[in-house]
Amino acid sequence: MPERRIADSSRRNFLRAAGLAGAAAAVAPPAATAFPAAPQEISKAALPGPLQTAVEALSPSSDPVNQGSSGGDFMAEVLNALGIEYMAINCASSYRGLHEAIVNHTNNRPEIITCVHEDIAVHMAQGYAKIEGKPMAMACHGVVGLQHATMAMYNAWCDRVPVLVFGGNIMEADKRAPGAEWLHAGVDIGQIVREFTKWDDQPASLTHFAESTVRAYKIATTPPMGPVFIALDAELQENPIADAESLRIPKFAPVVPPQGDAGAIAEAAKMLVEAQNPIIVCDRVARTPAGMANLVALAEALQCGVIDNAGRMNFPSRHPLNQSFRRALIGQADVILAIEMNDLWGTLTHFSDRIVRRSRPGTKPGAKVITLGVRDLYLKSNYQDFGRWQDVDLDIAGDGEASLPALTEAVKRLTDDAKSSAFEARGKKLAAAHLAMVEQSKSDATIGWDASPITTARMCAEVYNQIKNEDWSVVGTTIRLSWPHRLWDFNKPYQWNGSSGGAGVGYNLPASIGAALANKKHGRFTLAFGGDGDFMFNPGALWTAAHHQIPILYVIQNNRAYHQEYMYLVAMAARHGRDVTKMDIGTTLKDPNIDYATVARGMGAYGEGPITDPQDLAPALTRAIAAVKSGRPAVVDVVTDPR
Amino acid sequence: MTSFEHIARAIVAGALYGMVATTVAAAQNAPPGDAANGKRLYLADGCFTCHGRSGQGGAYNGPAPILAKTALPFEGFKMQIRNPVNDMPAYSDAILSDRDIADIYAFVQSLSGRRSPKDIAVLNN
Repeated sequence: MPERRIADSSRRNFLRAAGLAGAAAAVAPPAATAFPAAPQEISKAALPGPLQTAVEALSPSSDPVNQGSSGGDFMAEVLNALGIEYMAINCASSYRGLHEAIVNHTNNRPEIITCVHEDIAVHMAQGYAKIEGKPMAMACHGVVGLQHATMAMYNAWCDRVPVLVFGGNIMEADKRAPGAEWLHAGVDIGQIVREFTKWDDQPASLTHFAESTVRAYKIATTPPMGPVFIALDAELQENPIADAESLRIPKFAPVVPPQGDAGAIAEAAKMLVEAQNPIIVCDRVARTPAGMANLVALAEALQCGVIDNAGRMNFPSRHPLNQSFRRALIGQADVILAIEMNDLWGTLTHFSDRIVRRSRPGTKPGAKVITLGVRDLYLKSNYQDFGRWQDVDLDIAGDGEASLPALTEAVKRLTDDAKSSAFEARGKKLAAAHLAMVEQSKSDATIGWDASPITTARMCAEVYNQIKNEDWSVVGTTIRLSWPHRLWDFNKPYQWNGSSGGAGVGYNLPASIGAALANKKHGRFTLAFGGDGDFMFNPGALWTAAHHQIPILYVIQNNRAYHQEYMYLVAMAARHGRDVTKMDIGTTLKDPNIDYATVARGMGAYGEGPITDPQDLAPALTRAIAAVKSGRPAVVDVVTDPR
Repeated sequence: MTSFEHIARAIVAGALYGMVATTVAAAQNAPPGDAANGKRLYLADGCFTCHGRSGQGGAYNGPAPILAKTALPFEGFKMQIRNPVNDMPAYSDAILSDRDIADIYAFVQSLSGRRSPKDIAVLNN
């Protein structure tokens, strides 16, 4: 992006506005006479009291009442210069200057996305970024709104997703009005989110704002990515620009993600080529559409299995080397290549949630572990999302996606004819096992096919049957729902975008809608599965989807419980030999059952359900899909078995 | 560990528990049980929460294998309930008597189990 000062047209806007204000001041009557004259007689009304009479008799204030420009105008231009398409907000007076500037000065660019909770706004930005490959903005009150936003920011942090969060503040104490403005101001409002943001700042001038916002964008989008926070001083937003000619929007050049060291890549290639049973494990490799192709190329060069933890759309679900549902391969591998892993220790270890919490390695003795990624290049101390220490043999600091082509080429250079034949034989075995796994999944899915509540397998199979010929994108899921990856053909980079990151409930509905917002301009059919418990954290997100005409098919896996917790309570009671029959207390969502279709309709969305008979599911989906194709969000409430 | 990973491990275990042997042989040596009472216990005592109402399997922290027409012999089934492997909670006789377990075993053997996927059109996409 080239360096630029404020656009000429904008500078003209500033000047024209200033000129108009000056001209208006020159010809306008005194302020006191500008207001309508008071009626001579006011019948049936109380006479003005002495205070009102005194106020009306005062001379007009010498304070200016119009201005031609504002800092908010410049701020809006900075956001546009960065190519930010959307700003999700819950409106708040502490950033009213920027809000008005976006609406009027830059003609609603970035487009304002109205949200009814800050948690929704940040989660929408998280979902959007994972589909669009770039961040959108979010704005809130810097104190009370930011506290609402924190859970979503933590999810984005754990998920390594860039989000630009702006929070209004009034820095100068003497400029704060009595009451709420004191309650909503802070000395260091970024403090509350500092442990789960990559960077934050509170600019004290417009030049400072511009440089910090561009810096924030750069930091957020540099792997390992993450949310950033900028405090917006209200005076800075609202006051006239003192010297427009001095302002410039800094030049932004995206960071080229670092490749792993060439020597280390060569060493990794040698280990992989020499291995008898290498395996690739991965989580958040694909950050652009090239990521999946790069990983496929390496796996095919080695003809080795890939175990995908599915933090992103890393590997096609029906690729013969996809061994994601054959985790036993980890225990057979002599070399494990772990790429952009979120929880490597957890992936390579068996851990028991029993009275004594024991663990044992899931790898065979002597197995070598190679890591490639950038996750550990930026960590913080308090929240423990970095996971437990994992011993490795070769630790390569480098962006996974960017490093894969060099690693693949190095592997190919080391592969002679004998190796090539061995690799081919290995690949054939893996392909056969993959096909067997698919057939087993289909067989497993038949159990309880006609049952009510409906099995999750049938729910997913019925959905896929109706969307398989669309240009679909699945952007949300429920806890432990694996059927789409077991049964569906994921083969495009946008067909999956991972999950919450921080496992903070409330992510799924708004993040899915954010992803749908990104998919909308590409004409894709967006769908998501979501739990009933998650839905109830942020049902208002549906209103946003309806208001902004964001089409999405949202299928609720309604097991009428916070089911994972239900199971935990059963385990706790069983551990004590106590009554296991009352564990629905505090864990279920029934008596009364929640009617999600009615909730959806109340938000302006299309609603179907509750669907309890599996025979009713397909027709309900057909109707809901028609609504989605008309541009609306649609909810299908499917009453399901727990898992 | 991701939830996706948990479920994958569950699938492996499900295959081990549920698909290895013929169910007929497993059921032959089981004590007689009351399938109706077994169903009541299966639903009341939380078996369904991980294994599904149809015994289709699922997930807790890890493996929650398919139980419909399980190939596990009764003694193995009981051992898994009394002193389970992995994270499954242990059900002592204070919660489930041996008779209760026999009833539950009879219930899971009575479930309809698998069908041919080829007979279900939407599973052939």
